[in-house]
Amino acid sequence: MKRWLLLQIGRAGLAAWATASLVFILSRLLAAGAEEALLGEAPDLQTRTVASSPVARQALQQRLGLDEPVFYVTRTSRDPAAWRWHGPHNQYHRWLAGLLRGQLGWSYRTGQPIGPQLRAAFAYTLPLAVLAAAGATVAALGLGLALASGGPASGGWRAALHLALTSLQGIPVYALALGLLFVFANPDALNLLPAYSLGANPADLTPAAYALQLIMPVLTLVLAVLPELALPLAAALRHELRADYATTARAKGVPAARLLRHHALPNALLPLLTSFANLLPTLLAGTVLVESVFSLPGMGRLLAEAAAAHDYPVVVAGVLVTAGVRLLCLALADVLYALADPRIRLAL
Amino acid sequence: MKYAWIILLLAIGGCMCSSVDKHQNHSIVRVRWVRDPENLSPLVQPNQNAVEALGLLHCSLLQLDFATGEHMPSLADSLPRLRLIGDSLTEVQYQLRQEATWDNGRPVLASDVAFTLKLYQCPGLPNEKAKAQLSFIRAVKLYPAYPRRFTLVCRGQVPGFSYETGDFPILPEAALDAKHTLRSYSLAQLARLSSLPPRDTTLTALVSRYQHADPSHHPERLPGCGAYRLVAWDIDRFLTFVRKPHWWADTLRPAPFVLQAKPRQLTYVIISDENTAALALRRHELDVLPQLSARAFRRLRAADSTDQELSFYSIPSYELLMAGFNTRRPMLRDSLTRQALGQLFDPAQLQRATQLGQGLRTVGLVHPHNWRYYNDSLPLPAYTPRRAAALLRQAGWQRRLAGWVQTKNPPQAAPQALTLRMRYRADDPTFATIALQFRAAAAALGIPVALLPTESSSFTKALREGDFDLYVRKVSSTPFTFDFTTLLHSRTIPESNFTKFSTPTTDRLIEDIATTGAPAQRRQLLRRFQAIVQAQAPLVPLFFLPYRLAADRELQHLYPSGYKPGYYAAAATWNLATGTVAAH
Repeated sequence: MKRWLLLQIGRAGLAAWATASLVFILSRLLAAGAEEALLGEAPDLQTRTVASSPVARQALQQRLGLDEPVFYVTRTSRDPAAWRWHGPHNQYHRWLAGLLRGQLGWSYRTGQPIGPQLRAAFAYTLPLAVLAAAGATVAALGLGLALASGGPASGGWRAALHLALTSLQGIPVYALALGLLFVFANPDALNLLPAYSLGANPADLTPAAYALQLIMPVLTLVLAVLPELALPLAAALRHELRADYATTARAKGVPAARLLRHHALPNALLPLLTSFANLLPTLLAGTVLVESVFSLPGMGRLLAEAAAAHDYPVVVAGVLVTAGVRLLCLALADVLYALADPRIRLAL
Repeated sequence: MKYAWIILLLAIGGCMCSSVDKHQNHSIVRVRWVRDPENLSPLVQPNQNAVEALGLLHCSLLQLDFATGEHMPSLADSLPRLRLIGDSLTEVQYQLRQEATWDNGRPVLASDVAFTLKLYQCPGLPNEKAKAQLSFIRAVKLYPAYPRRFTLVCRGQVPGFSYETGDFPILPEAALDAKHTLRSYSLAQLARLSSLPPRDTTLTALVSRYQHADPSHHPERLPGCGAYRLVAWDIDRFLTFVRKPHWWADTLRPAPFVLQAKPRQLTYVIISDENTAALALRRHELDVLPQLSARAFRRLRAADSTDQELSFYSIPSYELLMAGFNTRRPMLRDSLTRQALGQLFDPAQLQRATQLGQGLRTVGLVHPHNWRYYNDSLPLPAYTPRRAAALLRQAGWQRRLAGWVQTKNPPQAAPQALTLRMRYRADDPTFATIALQFRAAAAALGIPVALLPTESSSFTKALREGDFDLYVRKVSSTPFTFDFTTLLHSRTIPESNFTKFSTPTTDRLIEDIATTGAPAQRRQLLRRFQAIVQAQAPLVPLFFLPYRLAADRELQHLYPSGYKPGYYAAAATWNLATGTVAAH
C-alpha cells in the first residue's frame, strides 16, 4: 500500500510538472508578450512620450529575463529555418532549476515571490473549498437518501426536490452568487448578511464575523455542486434497492430506512467517491467566480487576474499546484475505493 | 425544529445588522477600488489605484487642484519659471517650500529631487515606464547657496513643461543613498545606460539597497512627505491609510487646496464585482463608489429613489471614445472614403445606448470644455448614410450586387472591394456596441464588416503591426496637453500613430501647437488642426466618456471631476449635522 501510494504521488508530481511545463512554454509563445500588459494600454494623449517604446519594452524584457530563448532548442524564423541549441541559458531551464530549489519564481506584476502569494490565497480558498465540500457531501447524503426512500415513481415533494436539483444544475455559479447576494445582502430584501466578505478592518474580523461572512460564498459553492452529488447518489441508491440482496432483506423484514442506510448506502457510495474526487476542479472553477463576487482574495481570483494580466509565472505556479492537488485527489479516491470495496486491489 | 436553521440565520443576521451601523465612524472614508494597486513602488506605478495611493504617501512638486482644474504648487512654493535656452532646450526653475520636511523632521531639499530623477533613470531598477516618460529631463542644476532651489534642463521648448516637470513623487535621498553615492553620476549619464555596468559597484549597491527595501510592498521603508502613511495592506482586500498627526503642511496658512488632508483614515476596499460594491454602498459598508458603469448607475439611482441616502454625480471625463482607420490600406488611402465610413457611426445613439446619454460629443480631439481651443464651427460627427453613399461614389466606388468596388489603375487590374476588418478590445461591452452599430449601418449600405474582438495586450500589438482596417478604442487626454504627436505625427509611426496618417502640414502643425505658448496663436493653430483632422478623417471622434460616482449623501467635498480618479478623497468631509472628519 505504501509503495503504491509513493508511486501515485510520484506520478502525480510528474504529471503536474508536465502540465505546468506545457503551460510555461505555450504562455511564452503567445503573440503579445507580458511586457505589453505591464507597460500599459495603447498610448494616449496624456504624455508626450510613449511608455511602451521599443527601448522600454527591451529593458523590461531584459529585467524579467524574457530576452533569453524560451527552451533548450528553438527554431529560427530566418530563411532557411533551422533548429538552434541554447544549452542551459534559457527561460525554461531557469524556471525548472528554481522549481527544484523550491522556488516558484516572481510575479511580473508585483515583483514578489510567488510562493507566499499562493500560500496567502490558499489560506482563503482552502476553508472555503473544504467547508463547501463537507457541506455538499452531507447535504447530498441527506437529499440522496430522501429522494431514494420514496421509489422511482413517487411524486409529491420528492418530485419537486428532484426538479429543483435538476434546475439548480442549470444555473451558472455567477448567477447563483448574485442571486444569494440580492436576497441576503440587499436593503430591499433580506438585509441579513454583509455584501462583501471579510470587511475592511482587521479588528472587525472576529471568528464569528469570519463565519458569518463565509455563509454566502460557501452556500453558493454547496448549491453549485450539490446536484452533481445528490442526483447520482439517489440513482445509485435506487439501483441498489432493486438488487436481489435488498429483496431478500425486505423479505426478512428489515425496515425500509435500515435497508437504505445500512445495506444500500455502503454499496451506493462507490460512484459518490468518483464524484467527490471530481469535486475539487468544480469547486476551484466555482471559486473564481465566488471569490470575485464576494471579494475574497483566494486562489481562483489570483489565477484569473494573473491570466488576464499576462502574469505567467503566477499562472504556471497556480497550474502546477492545482494539477498536483487534483492528481492527489484522484489517488485519494483510489485509496478510498479500495477501503470501501475490499474486492478492489490497488495495482502498481 | 424543522425551521431551526431559518431561525438561526435570522438571529445571526439580526446580530449582523445591529453591528452594521450607519456611518460607524465619522473619521473614516471608505472608497471602492476595482483592483489592488499591486505595486506601490513610485518607480513602477502600474495602475491608477497605485498612482492614487502614492499621492497620499508622497508629494510631488505640483499637483492638480480639483477645485480649479489647474496645476498648483505642492512641494514647490510657486509655479516654476520657464526660460528658453537656444532653440532646443528649456530651463524650468523650482523653489521648494521652506516648511516641507520628511517625517524625521529633515527638510525636503533640491538634492532629494535630483536623487529622485536619477533613480528614475538608474539601470537595473523597475523604472522602464517612468524612464521613458521623464526622458525629456536631461539635467538637474543645483545651487549650493540655495539648497531648496533647482533647475531642470529639458529637451524641447514646450509650454507644458510648467506642469509636466512637476508631476512625479519626490523620494528621500537619505533613505536609499545616505552616503550620496548617486551624486557622482549625472542624469544624462544614467539615462544613457541601458543595463547595469558589470563593474559599477556603486550602482549595483544602490539597486541592491532598493531591492532589499522592497518599497513595492513595504512603502513605509521609503518614507514620503505626504499626509498619510499606509498602516494596513491586505492584498486584494483593502488598504488603510492613516493621517499623520503632525504633517508639515498643517502649518501653512492659508492651507492650499492641494495640501488638504481631511479624513483621519482613508480605507480603499477592493471589490471587483460592481453589483457587490453597489449593495455595499447601500448597506453603508462603503462611502464612495467611483467608476460606475451606466447600468449600475441607473440601477443604483432607481434603488435609492425612496431612501435618498446617496448622492449621484456624472461628469464628462477626458477619456475619448474614437475610431481610427488604417490609412495605409489602399482602400482607405482616400480621405473621401474615410469620411464616408465615418458617417456610418451614430455617436448620438451610441451615447444614449451605452452611457445613458451622459458624456460629451465632440468635433475632434480637443475637449469641448476647452472652449478657448475647441473648434465649435465644425459640425459634430453624425449618422448620415445617404451622405456616406454619396461620398463613396465621389471617391470612385461603385455599388454592385456583391458590394462596393473600385476600379484600380491600370483598369485591367482586378477591382478592389470595400470590405473592412474592425478591431476592438473584447473586455468592454461599449466597444462591442459601437462595433455592432457600425457593422449594422455598413451592412445596410452593402459594406461587409468583420468584427475582431481582441484581448487588450494583443490589441495594442495588432494595432502597432497594422493588423486592422478600422479600430475602436479609448484615448485618455488632459485639458492641459495639446500635443498630438503620439497619435498623428509621422515620428510615432507605428509605435503609437496606429492610423499611420501623417502629412508634412499636420506634422508641422502638431509641432507648432506643442511649442506655442501664446493662447491666441495656439487657438488659431488648434482650430486649424481640428478642421484638417475632420477633413482628412484618419480618426472619428465619437464622444468623451462620463465619470460616474455614487457616494453617501452625507459625505461632502468629494470634488467629483473629469480628472482621474474622478474625485478627491483627501478633501472629503462628513456633513456637520452628523459629525466631521476634519482632523485639525
